[in-house]
Amino acid sequence: MLAAAAAVYAAVALAVPPGFFDGFTQQVPYRFVKPPPCCVHNNVQPQAGHLTIKVGTNGQTDPASAFTNDESPQAILSVLPGAFDDPDRSPVSVDITPEASYPDLGGLQCATNVYLFKSSKPLKLEGLITLRYSDQLPAPSDIWYAPEGGGAWTKVGSTGSAAPFQIAVRTKQLGYFAGCYPPGASQPPAGPTLGGGQTLPIIAALAVVLVVLGGIPLALVRRREPGPKSPSRRRGKRR
Amino acid sequence: MIAAARRAAPMPPLGLAVFVLAVEWARVLAAREWPVAGQLGGGLALLASVAFFSPAALGLGRDRLPARLLGAAALIAVLLLPAAVRWTGELPLGGGLAAVTVVVAAGEEVAFRGALFAAFERAWGGPAAVLGTTLAWTAAHALSHPPLFLVAVAAAGLLLGCWRLYARDLVAPLIAHVVADLAL
Repeated sequence: MLAAAAAVYAAVALAVPPGFFDGFTQQVPYRFVKPPPCCVHNNVQPQAGHLTIKVGTNGQTDPASAFTNDESPQAILSVLPGAFDDPDRSPVSVDITPEASYPDLGGLQCATNVYLFKSSKPLKLEGLITLRYSDQLPAPSDIWYAPEGGGAWTKVGSTGSAAPFQIAVRTKQLGYFAGCYPPGASQPPAGPTLGGGQTLPIIAALAVVLVVLGGIPLALVRRREPGPKSPSRRRGKRR
Repeated sequence: MIAAARRAAPMPPLGLAVFVLAVEWARVLAAREWPVAGQLGGGLALLASVAFFSPAALGLGRDRLPARLLGAAALIAVLLLPAAVRWTGELPLGGGLAAVTVVVAAGEEVAFRGALFAAFERAWGGPAAVLGTTLAWTAAHALSHPPLFLVAVAAAGLLLGCWRLYARDLVAPLIAHVVADLAL
């Protein structure tokens, strides 16, 4: 029974796309442009963000972070000094807007809104795009990008994030960004595989072995104990 | 006060289940307004359920400690296996949240596999205790987890409940739950 429970847990937790979690949920509810069925109640529309990045005395644009004006910012662009191609040394305008219309996602399952990142001048150095995602949907495996002028979505990856419920990526291109996972994904494509793709049965078998090995000492100690100690055993004798 | 509670008439299992579920749902709702205080208050309220049972009835104790710790290691490995297969280098929770996580995870384990399990087992036997605590545990997560994930929550509850029944031990599930919540 215990071994079967271990196998069931391993199989189910592995099958939940794209990653089972427990522990803490985020504190501030995610704001959706188009809320999924789980999150229609009390949904608040997300905010846009704007920042004007000045040029420092060294002639380079300042380091800065532009973020949306939500209670807990849902989209952030962070740049280093001189990140923009700014030959005329004028301030750079950055806008981040949650979008209701965007290129067709083609089956991508997103846990974030689609955000349009725009700047008045192109990036010269990589900027860091960070997206907060909903705790009510499966976590995204990667950030995906589509050009502002339209076009197909492409995966730009994920650099990970130290904060829970955030995903980030470095990029030199601005346009549409969203945190998603591919349709029908049972695990991130970049994840390791074992035994030529036989991950699930191997993990389930490993879970069984571990829990049985871990339980054997307790079982042996219980058998050596003089007489029943637990309430159920005592009750069993009375019956 | 704890001794008085233990001397009092046994807590009815369904009454205890309602209490534990109410605390869990209140914790989730309160944490939306007061994140740390809500989680911490809920975790401590769950821990209060130890008042109704002796440590032995809850599955706690220092006897068989090496075996219990080995069991905890095995359960931790099993609970984290699916996440380990997928791990892409993302860091776990930070320090502040981690401290509250310990209280909440320990509180959940004491309340569900400890007190509620003992009450169900006393009333209806071991298998009913596993099934009942698994159902209550899954329902308790309905407000904080997407519906799809509740299947995995139920499977984790079933595994920990089976361990509690088979090994007569709560130490291993308690440690495993805390570590898993810190990592997942």
